[in-house]
Amino acid sequence: MKKRLYIELENCIGCRSCLAACTQCGGHEERNRNYVYDVNPLVNRQTMPLMCLHCVNPACARSCPAQAIQIHETGAVLSALVEKCIGCQNCTIACPYGIPKFDTEQNLMYKCDLCIDRTKDGIPPMCASVCPTNTLQWLTEEEIEAKQQQFNLDNGKWVTSMQYLENETNVKVNLPGILQGVTKLF
Amino acid sequence: MQRDKFFREIENLQHPNETLVKTHCSYCGMQCGMNLRVDTRTNKIIGVEPRYDWPVNVGKMCPKGVTAYQQTNHDDRILKPLIRDDKSLKGTIKGFREASWDEAYDLIAKNFQKLQQAYGKDSLSVFSGVSMTNEKCYLTGKFARVALGTRYIDYNGRFCMSSAAGGFLRSFGVDRGSTLPWTDLHETDCLFIAGSNTAECHPTSMFRVWHVQERGGYLIVADPRETPIARRADVHLDLRPGTDLALANGILNLLIENGHVDEQFVNNHTNGFEETKELVKQFTPEYTSEITGVLPEKIIRAAEIYGKAPNAVVMFARGIEQQHKGVDNVSAYTNMALITGKIGRPKSGVATFTGQGNGQGGREHGQKSDLLPGYRKLTNPQHVKEVSEFWGITPEEMPEPGVSAYEMFELMDQKVIRGLYLLCSNPAVSAPNSNFVRKALKDLDFMVCSDFYLSESAEFADVILPAVTWSEDEGTVTNLEGRIIKINKAQEPLGESKPDWQIQVELAERLGRGKYFSHLKTAVDVADEFRAATKGGYADYSGATWDKIEKQDGVFWPCKSEEDEGTPHMFLDKKFYHPDGKAKICALPYRPPAEEPDEEYPLRLTTGRVVYHYLSGNQTRRIQFLRDMCPEPYIEIHPETAAKYDIKHEELVRLYTRRGEAIYKVKIIEAIRKDTVFVPYHFGHDQSINLLTNPALDPISRMPEFKACAAQIDKSIKKVH
Ligand code: SF4
Ligand code: SF4
Ligand code: SF4
Repeated sequence: MKKRLYIELENCIGCRSCLAACTQCGGHEERNRNYVYDVNPLVNRQTMPLMCLHCVNPACARSCPAQAIQIHETGAVLSALVEKCIGCQNCTIACPYGIPKFDTEQNLMYKCDLCIDRTKDGIPPMCASVCPTNTLQWLTEEEIEAKQQQFNLDNGKWVTSMQYLENETNVKVNLPGILQGVTKLF
Repeated sequence: MQRDKFFREIENLQHPNETLVKTHCSYCGMQCGMNLRVDTRTNKIIGVEPRYDWPVNVGKMCPKGVTAYQQTNHDDRILKPLIRDDKSLKGTIKGFREASWDEAYDLIAKNFQKLQQAYGKDSLSVFSGVSMTNEKCYLTGKFARVALGTRYIDYNGRFCMSSAAGGFLRSFGVDRGSTLPWTDLHETDCLFIAGSNTAECHPTSMFRVWHVQERGGYLIVADPRETPIARRADVHLDLRPGTDLALANGILNLLIENGHVDEQFVNNHTNGFEETKELVKQFTPEYTSEITGVLPEKIIRAAEIYGKAPNAVVMFARGIEQQHKGVDNVSAYTNMALITGKIGRPKSGVATFTGQGNGQGGREHGQKSDLLPGYRKLTNPQHVKEVSEFWGITPEEMPEPGVSAYEMFELMDQKVIRGLYLLCSNPAVSAPNSNFVRKALKDLDFMVCSDFYLSESAEFADVILPAVTWSEDEGTVTNLEGRIIKINKAQEPLGESKPDWQIQVELAERLGRGKYFSHLKTAVDVADEFRAATKGGYADYSGATWDKIEKQDGVFWPCKSEEDEGTPHMFLDKKFYHPDGKAKICALPYRPPAEEPDEEYPLRLTTGRVVYHYLSGNQTRRIQFLRDMCPEPYIEIHPETAAKYDIKHEELVRLYTRRGEAIYKVKIIEAIRKDTVFVPYHFGHDQSINLLTNPALDPISRMPEFKACAAQIDKSIKKVH
């Protein structure tokens, strides 16, 4: 059963457990690959994760002159292949979210691969496994469908899938906020 | 196995040449389930893998939990006993030399005996902690009373859970931190959470908290700061630090006035309603607002929501408990559940967020100055008789009750206590008024410290004994629900380190008390003796066998026999533990904090935690990821207040109180009251906020008032190192 990463930004408490867990993934060389931002640090404690969205037609891969960024059959956009990456850093500029990171010592790009050694076998990625708030979830298509029904999405589309961004993404992000449309019990 | 809506059947990723050892986190009371990854070639712990099938956290972990495994094979581990011959170096990390266990034990035995011969049995003391297994906590109590024969033993729970314990004992007659399992929380209709920065201190509760709101339920949070959980609360009661009792009384008054009292429950199952009703009358929303600084509308709305909720859980933590009226605060918030009858049934009840991993179990079995195993009391001759017989001593040999943790430092200062055996705690950072505490430690005639890292407190020791980390030994702990769970051993002790129970057995032998200890050869032996010792006490663990814990995903105490499956929900029969079976609704007059702001010290200082660190930080400050995320303390201050002092974001300022001072970097944020400043307490030496905190003690729990004192800021720092 295909599962996807689904993000409910509004739940985030900024614990950065997702980043700590990222370092635990077997293929990650103990380096974390994503970001958590303080949205307005002088005002409140709102935070949000910024994860690779695993675009269906990813700008990072398109921009790569060496075909170093492969797309796995699950849709995961993988980290650069060591033998192919020429260290030009095009991808870091092409990605609208600034996801690919660059290791100057190795002259190599590295990025979120959705813990491919886990997700290829249907095991949730580390970030969504540990996230204590369910900001990051690993859901089936049906579960995501249900979420889509629940919320009032712009043109029925997840915000990250908009044309002016990168079109369809494998990761779905809920921006309206999970309390939208909730009727109080009493 | 309990399975709720969050449970997913997931297979773990199994790498080649690795085994997974099921266990729990070393840190907070959530005791999240986790798997440790062990390399089968080196037999060393090398990582963590989620434990998706543990019902409480279903694989989730906070960043402390994710990185906890890095403690065990850390470069900072103490691998051999250390001795320091030059006493003038006390209070520094200098002068220690490696020694054999034999030499260390001999030196300890010689000094302990010398002190006791010269100054009496009670010249020695034991200061322990509850970040260790029930078995170790139990044996530490026995070691103090039987091997050392001293009355002076107490533990760091006095800085953590003692107010909750005191409040629950008074209200219910029993002290189990939660009256219901955590797996109920997301199904309740209203969470009323006071003085808990849940998102940072017990993060893996958060998916359940948010789910209450997703279902249309309500979240009410009382906190001087808009913490990450308060940010999304339906009502945020932004009270002044140290004014909880007024807030609780004010809400109680509204609940009564607006007809939310469950008369039948109150009449049949409680005492004290009428006098409490009388007392809280004066706490009108306006009067309550005057004391607490919370708008009357918010107080009214909060009471309305809690009153109308079909099911509700009242929860609290150190914010309300670490006050010199902490016990009263606990009973006052508990009153809300008692007058509305929202207790003694699923999805409703009262719970405290236990701080330390074994904050619950560790306080029940005799490390507290006045307690014996099974929550028996040293002041009860029958209890003393039972335990003396069990230990094979006469009741006359059983030492009297001692004094509380902070008071032990006072006795050190007065030279009543001259020797100390410290384990599982770091009071040089975690005790209030640290200038005084550090001097008391420094002036001791002889001090032994058992730890796996050289903590700030170990810097005062003459002998340091290398203990093991949690994953190099096995035993049980009791999590914040009251669920007894099993910690498993994942690797052999590093270097020459030993578990504390073994150290105590061997030390007892050196002290000529081997006949009471020598039969304890393995962790299982200690566990068997421990369970038997609790039998008949009201925290009865006798039926909580390791097998049963494994089979049932933990056992909730009380669990009195092999057949007994334990007690996930307390008071389902509406029977409380006072002799008449009734709970006590408490009439509690308001008292302000021990130190109120004045002209000289106009600010309110409160302290707390950040998500990246645990307690004194002795463990977490050494973990790279956690240190990177939060390398140093800071002072949180509202922009308007900062403007008054003309101080800027990231500028350094001197913060001071009547007891001490420290220099902190300014963090400006609107999410705090204008009259309040906040500093996290995980840092040592001159960064420690406990240099400034107030040791005013609660009369019942002897809990110091960490959470509220008067302070002032001085912006002119001459020199910054
Ligand atoms: S683990 Fe979850 S809550 Fe924590 S920072 Fe990451 S996304 Fe936010
Ligand atoms: S989010 Fe950025 S890095 Fe991820 S697939 Fe899209 S373009 Fe590439
Ligand atoms: S510190 Fe507490 S919440 Fe975090 S992983 Fe450990 S037990 Fe869970």
